[in-house]
Amino acid sequence: MVSTQAQKSIFYRLHIDPYLLLGLFALMSISLTVLYSVAGYEMIYRQVTRLAIALTVMLVIAQIPPEWYRRWAPGIFIACVLLLIAVLVIGHTGKGAQRWLDLGFTKFQPSEIMKLIMPLMVAYYVSQYTLPTRFKQAVIALLIVIVPTLLIAKQPDLGTSILVASSGLFVLFLSGISWLYIGIALASILAFVPILWFFLMLDYQRGRVLTLLNPEADPLGAGYHIIQSKIAIGSGGFWGKGWLHGTQSQLEFLPERHTDFIFSVYSEEFGFIGVLLLLTIYILIIGRGLWIANQAQDAFTKLIAGSIILTFFVYVLVNIGMVSGLLPVVGVPLPIVSFGGTSIVTLLAGFGILMSIHTHKRFNIKR
Amino acid sequence: MNRRRTPSKPKVISQTRKKKVYDNYSSGRYIFVAVAMGLIAIVLIARLAFIQVIEPEYLSNQADKRSLRITESIAHRGNIEDRNGEELAVSVPAYAIWVDPKQVKKHFAFTRQEWKDSIVVNPKTGVERYTKKYFYESKKWPALAEVLDVNIDNIAAMIQKPNSRFAYLKRQVNDPIVKYIKQLKLPGIASQLESHRFYPTGEINANILGLTDLDAQGIEGIEKSYNKFLQGQSGERRVRKDRLGNVIDNIAVVKEKKLAGNLQLTIDQRIQAVAYSELKRAVKINNASSGSIVVIDIHNGEIYAMANYPSFNPNDRNQYQAYKLRNRAITDTFEPGSTVKPLVVASALINHKTNPDEIVDTNPGWMHVGGRRVRDGHNYGKISLAKILKKSSNVGVSKLALRLKPDQLQQTFADFGLGNDTGIGLIGESAGRLPIRHRWSDFELATMSFGYGITATTLQLAKAYSILGSGGMEYPISIIKSATPAVGRQVIPKHIALEVVGMMEGVTEVGGTARKAKVDGYRIAGKTGTSRKAVAGGYGDDYVAVFAGIAPATRPRFAIAVMINEPQGDRYYAGDVAAPVFAAVMKSSLLLSHVLPDDRDQSYTYLEAK
Repeated sequence: MVSTQAQKSIFYRLHIDPYLLLGLFALMSISLTVLYSVAGYEMIYRQVTRLAIALTVMLVIAQIPPEWYRRWAPGIFIACVLLLIAVLVIGHTGKGAQRWLDLGFTKFQPSEIMKLIMPLMVAYYVSQYTLPTRFKQAVIALLIVIVPTLLIAKQPDLGTSILVASSGLFVLFLSGISWLYIGIALASILAFVPILWFFLMLDYQRGRVLTLLNPEADPLGAGYHIIQSKIAIGSGGFWGKGWLHGTQSQLEFLPERHTDFIFSVYSEEFGFIGVLLLLTIYILIIGRGLWIANQAQDAFTKLIAGSIILTFFVYVLVNIGMVSGLLPVVGVPLPIVSFGGTSIVTLLAGFGILMSIHTHKRFNIKR
Repeated sequence: MNRRRTPSKPKVISQTRKKKVYDNYSSGRYIFVAVAMGLIAIVLIARLAFIQVIEPEYLSNQADKRSLRITESIAHRGNIEDRNGEELAVSVPAYAIWVDPKQVKKHFAFTRQEWKDSIVVNPKTGVERYTKKYFYESKKWPALAEVLDVNIDNIAAMIQKPNSRFAYLKRQVNDPIVKYIKQLKLPGIASQLESHRFYPTGEINANILGLTDLDAQGIEGIEKSYNKFLQGQSGERRVRKDRLGNVIDNIAVVKEKKLAGNLQLTIDQRIQAVAYSELKRAVKINNASSGSIVVIDIHNGEIYAMANYPSFNPNDRNQYQAYKLRNRAITDTFEPGSTVKPLVVASALINHKTNPDEIVDTNPGWMHVGGRRVRDGHNYGKISLAKILKKSSNVGVSKLALRLKPDQLQQTFADFGLGNDTGIGLIGESAGRLPIRHRWSDFELATMSFGYGITATTLQLAKAYSILGSGGMEYPISIIKSATPAVGRQVIPKHIALEVVGMMEGVTEVGGTARKAKVDGYRIAGKTGTSRKAVAGGYGDDYVAVFAGIAPATRPRFAIAVMINEPQGDRYYAGDVAAPVFAAVMKSSLLLSHVLPDDRDQSYTYLEAK
C-alpha cells in the first residue's frame, strides 16, 4: 500500500527510491574502499567519475515513465541486434574476444545494452497476450532471446551471453510459463550440453569448466585464479586482516583484483564479518527490488522489475560463486563493487527503470 | 488493467477474473523466486563461512607459503690491511649471472623443428604466430655471450641440459655489465649479489695473502689460515615477497648478521713493495729460478716484509698456478751454507771452547777431517774469529766445531730456532731439518758447521739472525698485528750474541765477502752463504745464494734474510747475488722506520757487552 504522503514526498516527485539509493551508496562506499586498497587514488578517481556518470544515467532513466519503454522497446532491441552484428564484423578485439565497438570517442559493448533491453523486449512481447504465457508466445519469445544470445556467444563472450539469455528467460519464467514447458526446456538443455561441449565451446571455455571441476589439478595454469582467490578469502578468517593488509591481494598474487576478483580482496581484508555486511546490503537491495516488483501496476512493469532484480541477484551469485570456487570463472564482475564503466552504467540504468516503475504509478491499487 | 491489446481470441471473461488468474500464478512465481534466492544466499554464506571460518588456517598457511621467504644478506669478508692501515685485500660487491634453463626453453627453440612446432594459429583471424624465438637467430644471446666472455655454444649447452633449473653463466661480474644484461631483458637470466675479493697490491703480497675461491672462502695463505675470522656470518631474515619477488615486509631476523673483522698485518707495505721489486730484479738479472726475502723487527719478531718470486696477480685468475702461489719463505727449505757460521762461533763461545780474542790457524788453507778434505778458497793463515766470518773460512769454523760435542752444536742451532717452527701460524710452514743423532762423524760435524746437512727456510734464517741481533732474545715470529707486546725468551747469553754481531760487521767491509751489502750511514752485520744444491747422490752444479744480516750493528733493529735459488749467471756468489738485495731493502727499512745512522759511532756493541 502506497500512502498519499509518500507519493508527495520529495523523493517521489524526483522519481527516486531512497532505500535503493541508500543501498547503492553503501555498495559504492565499499567499492571505493577496496579499490583504494588495491590500486590507490588513481583508480578511485576514475571510478568516481564513472559512478557519477552512471548515477546521472540512472536518474535520467528514472524520470522516464514506463509507458515510454513499452513504446520504444522493439525499436531499441532491433537497433541493438544490428549493433551486435556490427561488432562481429568491425569490432575491436580485447583480451582474445571481440566485444568492443569503437565509436571514435569511446569504446562500448553493445552486449551490455542488450542485457538491459532484453527483458524489456520479452516483457513487451508477452504482456501483449493473456498471461500466463501460452506455448506459441513462449516459442516466439524464445526466438527473441536466442538470436542476440547467439550473437554475443559468437564474440565469444560466454558469460554475458548467459546473462543476457537469462534476463530474457527470467521474464518468460515470471510471466507464468507452464512448469511443464520449463521441465521440457531444462531436459533439452541437458541433452544439448554434450553437443555444446564437443562442438560449440572453445578450448578456453572448456578449460574453465574443467578448472571448476578440479582447480587443484592445474595450480599453476587454469586453476591458478581460483586457488589464489580461495586462499585470499580464506586467509581473511573471521575478522579479516585489516584494510590495506591483505597479503594475497596486496602482493599481486591475485589476478584481476580490481574487477572480477575484488570480492576476494574484500574478504581477505575484512573477513567473514565484512562478507556478512556486504551480503546483507545485497539482500536488502534485492528485497527492496522484489517489493517494488510486487507493487508494480501492470504485467509489463512487474515482469521488468522482477527480471532486473533477478539478473542483479544472478550477478552477485555468479561472481561470489566464482571467486569462492563454486562456479566456473566466467568473467562476471561483482555488481556496483567491481571497477568498470559499462557494467556499472548498465546496472544503475536497471535501477533507474526500477525507480521509474515505482514512482510513476498513477493511482493506488487496492489488493 | 493497463493492457494495450486484448487477446485476439475474444473470451468473455471478466477483467477481475483475468487479473486474479495472473495474480495467482505471478505471486506463485515471485514467492518461488524469493525462496530460491533465500536458499541460494544461505548456500553462498555457508560456503564463505566454510572457507573463512572453518578452513582458514589451511588457507592462510597457503597464503604464507606463497609470500613468506627467507633471504640471506651477505656479510662481506673482512679486509686485510698492513700495519699502517693500507688495504691489502678488500671485498667489493659483485654479481653472479645465472640462468634458469626452464624459463629460457619456454621462450626459445633450439632446433628449427621445435621452432616450427611452436607456431600457433589464431582461431579468429587465421594469423600464424611463433610462440618461441629461434635461439640461434636471436641477437641478444650473442650479445650476452660477448659481454660475459663466455662461448655461446656453452650457454646453449647449459640451457639445453634437461630438468635443470639453475646454472651459473659467469661469476664475479661487475655492476655495469649487470646493468647491460638487465637491459637485454632475456627470459630466465638473473643476477645474484656476491662478494668479489680485490687485492690492490697485486702480486707484491700475493704469496702471503693467498686467495679466496668464488664462494669467498679462503683457499691459500692468510685468507685460509684466518678464514673464520675474516668470514663473518651472513644474516638471514624472514620477509614477505610479492609475486614478482620484491621484498614487501621484514618480519623477523632468523640469524643475526655478524660483520667480519678486518685483519691487520705486521707487514709494512712500503718495505714490502721495495722487498718484492728488489727480489724480483735480482731473480731476473741472475736468471734464478726463485727467491725469497724476509724482514723481521728484532725487538718483537714482527714481520715487516715477506716477499717471494715468482708471484702472481691474484686479481687475474688466469695466472693461477700452484707453483707461483707458494709462500716460499716459509715452505721451501734449503741448506743455509755459510750463514750458520756465526751460530757456530756463538756455540763455541757459549760452551767455552774459545774466547773472543782467539787466533785460529787455518794454514794451509785446507785440512783433513775423517779422511775427507775441508777447504778454504785461499790460505788465510792465522786469523781472528771475526776474520773467520769475514773471509767465511771453512777450515776455521770446522776447527771450532770439532772442539764441540755434536749435541752442543745442535743445541745452539735449536736455540736459534732451526728445526722448529717459527710461531708465525701460517698454513704450509716448514720446520726445516735438524737431524738429531747420537753418533756423528767428524766430517759430518765439520760440514754441518758450514751449513750442509741441515735445512732451513728463509724465515727461520731471518729469525736466527734476529735472535743474534736482539741480544739472544727469542720472540715468536708474527705476521698478524697483536695488541699485546710479544714476550721474549733469553735463549743465548746477551754478551755472546752481541759479540758475534760485532764480529759479523767485517763481512761488509773491505776484504769481506759481501761489500755489496753495505748501506751508507749504517753499520751492517751479516753473513753470506753460497751452498751447492743437493741432488740425488751428492751435490750438483746449482747454487743457493743466501745473505742474512742485521742493522744497525750497534743498536740492531732489523734482521733480513735473502735467498736466491739457482742463480744461473756468471756470478753466483751470495755476495754478488743476494747482498745487493739485502742492502737495498735494509736501506729502505731503516729509512722508512726512522732509524738513526750509526756509522760515526765507534763504540762496538760487543765491547759494551763485555
